[in-house]
Amino acid sequence: MSVPRLQFEGISKVFPAVRALSDVSFSVGAGEIHGLLGENGAGKSTLLRILSGVYRPTAGSVLIDGRPVTLNNPVAARAAGVAMIHQELQQVPHLSVAQNMFLGHPLTRGGIFVARREQERRAAEALAALDPTIDPAVPLGSLKVAQRQIVEIARALLDRARIVAMDEPTSSLTPSEFERLAEVIAGLARDDVAVVYVSHKLDEVFGICQRATIMRDGVVVGSVDLAQVSEKAVVSMMVGRELAQEQHRSHASSEVRLSVRGLASATKVRDVSFDLHRGEVLGIAGLVGSGRTELLRLLAGADRASSGRVEIDGKAIKLSSPRDAIAAGIGLVPEERKREGIVPLRSISSNMALASMGVFAPRGVIDHARLKRVAAEKMKRVNLRPFLLDRPIRLFSGGNQQKAIIGRWLAAGTRILLFDEPTRGIDVGAKAEIYHLIEELAAEGHSVIVVSSELPEVIRLADRVLVVRDGTVAAELDRADLSEQAIAAHAIPQSETQGRQGAGHRVGA
Amino acid sequence: MTDVTEHTAARPRAEFLHRFSLRDAGTLIGLVVILAVFGALVPGFFAERNLINILQQSSINACLALGMTLVIISGGIDLSVGPTAALSAVISASMLVAGVPFPLAIAAGFAIGLVCGLLNGVLVAYVGLQPFIVTLGTLSTYRALALIYTGGNPVLGLPAGFRAIFNGSLFGLPLAVIIVAVVALIAWIILKKTPFGEYLLAVGGNEEAAYIAGVPIARTKIAAYMISGLLAALAAQILIGRLGAAEPILGNLWELDAIAAAAIGGASLMGGKGSVVGTILGAVILGTMRNGLTLMNVQSFYQLLATGLIILAAMLIDRVTRGRG
Repeated sequence: MSVPRLQFEGISKVFPAVRALSDVSFSVGAGEIHGLLGENGAGKSTLLRILSGVYRPTAGSVLIDGRPVTLNNPVAARAAGVAMIHQELQQVPHLSVAQNMFLGHPLTRGGIFVARREQERRAAEALAALDPTIDPAVPLGSLKVAQRQIVEIARALLDRARIVAMDEPTSSLTPSEFERLAEVIAGLARDDVAVVYVSHKLDEVFGICQRATIMRDGVVVGSVDLAQVSEKAVVSMMVGRELAQEQHRSHASSEVRLSVRGLASATKVRDVSFDLHRGEVLGIAGLVGSGRTELLRLLAGADRASSGRVEIDGKAIKLSSPRDAIAAGIGLVPEERKREGIVPLRSISSNMALASMGVFAPRGVIDHARLKRVAAEKMKRVNLRPFLLDRPIRLFSGGNQQKAIIGRWLAAGTRILLFDEPTRGIDVGAKAEIYHLIEELAAEGHSVIVVSSELPEVIRLADRVLVVRDGTVAAELDRADLSEQAIAAHAIPQSETQGRQGAGHRVGA
Repeated sequence: MTDVTEHTAARPRAEFLHRFSLRDAGTLIGLVVILAVFGALVPGFFAERNLINILQQSSINACLALGMTLVIISGGIDLSVGPTAALSAVISASMLVAGVPFPLAIAAGFAIGLVCGLLNGVLVAYVGLQPFIVTLGTLSTYRALALIYTGGNPVLGLPAGFRAIFNGSLFGLPLAVIIVAVVALIAWIILKKTPFGEYLLAVGGNEEAAYIAGVPIARTKIAAYMISGLLAALAAQILIGRLGAAEPILGNLWELDAIAAAAIGGASLMGGKGSVVGTILGAVILGTMRNGLTLMNVQSFYQLLATGLIILAAMLIDRVTRGRG
C-alpha cells in the first residue's frame, strides 16, 4: 500500500496537570473519509488542534505524505495543506462570503488593493460545485448555518487542501442538508483529499466513512473498518461499557396543561395551535428555518408574539418577557448553550439560581445556606459530574452544563420545559443521561417540548410529534405513526418532494 | 461527592478564604510590595499620620471606583463620573451658599448624581446605545451644564458647618475614609449577597443567557449607572467639603483613575468579573504610589509614568497567571 496521506505517530499532549493525549497513532489514506469518534474529553478536539497548528504536541509527530511536518501555527498548517472546518464556525458574519473565503490572505491588485471582484469570481467558482445558490457577495451572516458550512468547505477547496478535518460539521443540519454535505465530502474524497470526520452521530459516521478511529481518555482504543463492526460495538469502545437500549414509555395524561391557539410572530411563526398535556413529551420536528426555534422562543417569552393566545391550565397568560414565562412556569433550555444558556464565569450554583433569585432571597439578601442546599439537591438529581457546585460552569463538559441548566428550571419550580436541541454537542454517555432525565421529568408530571433536528432523538423521546413547516404545524404524528420517513415527508417543502414523496402533498397549506 | 452541604456549613474558615479570592490576594500582595518598597525608601512612610493620609487621598477615587466596578461588571463603562461629580458639586454648593439647609443641599447633589446615572442607564439599556459612546457624550454634556450653570466660575464660600461634616473624624480616622469604607461594605454586600449582585455578574457575563433565565436586564444596568452617578455625587460632596469651594471643572479625568483602580482590582472590561475588595486595594495602590513618590520628591512627570507602569504591570500579571481565555 502507498504512503498514507496523513499519519499521526505517537502523539502526546500534556497540559499543566492534564494529560490530554498519550501515544496517539493512526493514519488516513488519500481519498479516505476517516471517522474520529469518542466522547467529549476523549481528546479528539485536542488532536484536531494539533493537526491545525493551534497546539504543539508534547511528543510524537504528524506526517503528511510520509514526511514529518512542523505545524507550529495555523498558517503553517494551512500551508501544509490542512484545512479545518470548525464546529463553531470561525467566520466573520459582517464580511461577505468571498471576503470570508479569502480571510487572512486576500487577493490583491498590486499588493495594495483588495481585488474584490476577482475574489468573488473565484469564490463563485469554488462554490459552484457545492451550492450554486450561494451568492459570494452577500454578508456571510445572512446565510443559514448549513450554507456557512458549505462556504468553509469551499474555502478549503480554494486552499487546495490535501487534508480536511471536520469537527461536528452536521450538529445543526437537517437530514436533507446532511445528504448534500455527504455528497460534498464524497466529492472531496474522489479528489484524493484525506478527510478526518469528527461526529457524535454514529449513523452519519457509518454512512459516510470507510474507517474510524475510536478514542477514549486521550488514547486510541482502536481503528476499525466500519463495514465489519456494529454501531453497538463502536459505542461500547467509546464509553468503555455497554449502554442499555432504553424503551420509550409514555407518562402523558389527558389533562391539558398548555394550550396554544393561533400563535404567530412577525417573522417566522404563523398560526400555530396545539395542546400539551401533563406528563407529555411533545416532539417538534422540522427543517432548520421552519420556525421551530422561533416557536419555542415565543413560548419562552424571549420573543414577542404578534397574535395568538396561550393558556396554562385554562388561564390565559401574558408572555412579553422570559420573566413572564418563568412566572407562568415555563423554562427554556436553549439550543446554543454557550450563547444563551450559561454565564461562563459563574459557578454551577449561581447559574442554577439565576432564574429563581426571588426564592433564594425572600428578604432581599441571598440565603446562601439554602442556595447551597437546593443546588446540592438539584445537581444530585441531574447527576452533575464532577460534583463541584462552586466551580465555574465553563469548566464543565457540554452535557454537564446542560444538566445545570435543567437544574435551573427544577429549582425555579418550572412545570413546562422547552428543550431546543437538547443534546447538541453532547457526547453519547451524557446524551443517554439527558434522555433519561427528560423521561423522569415527564413521569413526575412535567410537560416537555423537545425540538430536535435528530429524528432518532425525537422518536426516542416523544409521545407525539408536531412537524413544523414554513412556520406552521404541517402534521401531527402519534407515537404509533412515528418514523423518520413519516417526519421527513411532512417536514420537507413540497417543491423538494415533487416526484419523490407523495405524502408531503396532502398536508399543510 | 455526597456530603457537600455538611462540608460547606462546617468550614467557615474555608468559606472565608474562598470569599477572599486568589485574585484579591494577588492585589493585596501587590499593595504590600509597594508599601514595603516605599517603607524602605522613605523615612517616616509608615507613620500613622502618613498612612491615614494615604487612605484619605485614596478615598475619593475609591468611592468613584466602587460605582465604576459595578458598571464594569455589568458589561458597561461610565466615563461621565467626573462631570457628574462637578454638576452635583456646583449645584449643592450654590444651594449652600444661598443658605439652603445642608441636608437639602446634599440631597439635591445626590439627586443630580442619580439623574445623571439614570440618563446614562436609559440610553444604554433601553435605547441600546454603546456604553462607551453614551457616557462619552454625557461626559461632555454634564461638564458643559456645570460650566454653563456657573458661568465657568467657582462657587466659593461654603458654610463652615457643611465643611465640618466631611472634615470631621471618628476613632482617629477621617470621616471621608469611614464613609467610603461603609460604601465599600455596602457594595460588597450588594455584589456577594443580593440578587442584584448576581444579576450584574450574569448580565455582564452573558447578557443573552441572563435574559433567557429571566434576569431583568434593563433594570439591572440602569441601577448600576445610577449607583455610579450617586457615588460620583458623594465624592463631589466629600471634595467640596474638603476644599470649601466647588469648581465646574472639578473631577477632570477622574473616570480614568476609577477605571484603573477597578482594573487593577481584577475587574474585566469585558464584563462579568470584578471585585469590591480588589477595587479598594487598587485605589489604595494608586494612592500609595502618589503619596510615596511625592514624599520622595519625584517629579510629577515620573509619577504619571509610574502610575501607567503599575496599571500595565497589573494587567500583565493578570494575563500571565490566568493564561489564555
